[in-house]
Amino acid sequence: MNSILLVVVAGLAAFIPRYFPTVFFSKRKLPEWFDEWMSFVPVSLFTALIAKSIFVTSTYGFIATNVAAIIAAILVIVISYYTHSMAISVVSGLVLMWILKLFL
Amino acid sequence: MSEKEYTWREVLREATPLCLSYVPIGLACGVLLHASGLSTLIIALLSCIVYSGGAQFLIASMLTIHTPIGPFFLMLFFLELRYALLGSSLSHYLRKETHPFILRFAFSLNDENYAVNYLKFATDKYWKPKNALLVEHYALISWASSNVIGSLIGSSLKINLVVVDFALTALFLYMVTMQSKKRIIIATAVLSGLLSIMFCCLFKSTLGIILATIMASTMGFLVDHYLRKNRPNSPLLYKVHGPELHHRKTTENDINS
Repeated sequence: MNSILLVVVAGLAAFIPRYFPTVFFSKRKLPEWFDEWMSFVPVSLFTALIAKSIFVTSTYGFIATNVAAIIAAILVIVISYYTHSMAISVVSGLVLMWILKLFL
Repeated sequence: MSEKEYTWREVLREATPLCLSYVPIGLACGVLLHASGLSTLIIALLSCIVYSGGAQFLIASMLTIHTPIGPFFLMLFFLELRYALLGSSLSHYLRKETHPFILRFAFSLNDENYAVNYLKFATDKYWKPKNALLVEHYALISWASSNVIGSLIGSSLKINLVVVDFALTALFLYMVTMQSKKRIIIATAVLSGLLSIMFCCLFKSTLGIILATIMASTMGFLVDHYLRKNRPNSPLLYKVHGPELHHRKTTENDINS
């Protein structure tokens, strides 16, 4: 994909959901169902992406033996739970994955 | 009594923790985007326009597997859809602002500066939209420079892609953990993960992720709605306790967490 096209497409995908609801609801009240439904979207998408990255191969086959990623993922959950820090969670995830890949 | 006006230095002080926390993630993101084949200039442009860790990690990982443009847009769109909620929840503080201001504000909105600004708007009556916009821009400078430096490091370093690719997974694991405040949310997450694996293997496409997201979030929303209306004592509605409740008494620090 052309780099400029990539920036434009990614920019549109980033801009539309940020701008239109903000400007729309600066004049009106947020409907409750929308608020409730949206609160389930991020968590669903994040786990869908996590599950795909750990249990699905790049050729879309099922894989249950990605042991390094499974262990690192469990440890990252524990670290996030106790530290509440995005930076610590991501960096320790990278370090854990690097160490586990050396042994597994 | 005269109104308190925040100076640029005072706003900078509010934004500093956020700016610092962007450095390691921005570096990792820059390294990964460079490894996926983008030039430093494009990475700088992308960091300023997209300005979202999750989306930029996802772009890098989709570029390495040559995702076609349709699913590429859809995946990003769904990932960024959460900003619809963040933007609308701040919108009533922006009621008196002009259209061009709201445009600039929405353009640089993201998860972390939202969290900072939401807290300030809710607790400090002297916090103005222009201060909030300044926080967004300080954090943007930190984010974009970290990305650029990361991409420069990436060009002089041999990177293990499997390891750096895990940054995206770690970031999302963190976000899911932070949002798992109720059992119904955890149940929705598990359902979405299972559906995602199933649909991805079935359709041989990343569209499986989008399908899983739509089905699981709608399911979660409907079940939550039904239970709260008809069975308010259902165990699915129980809250999940944070670690501070088990280990120490609530302190002022917990307000920030």
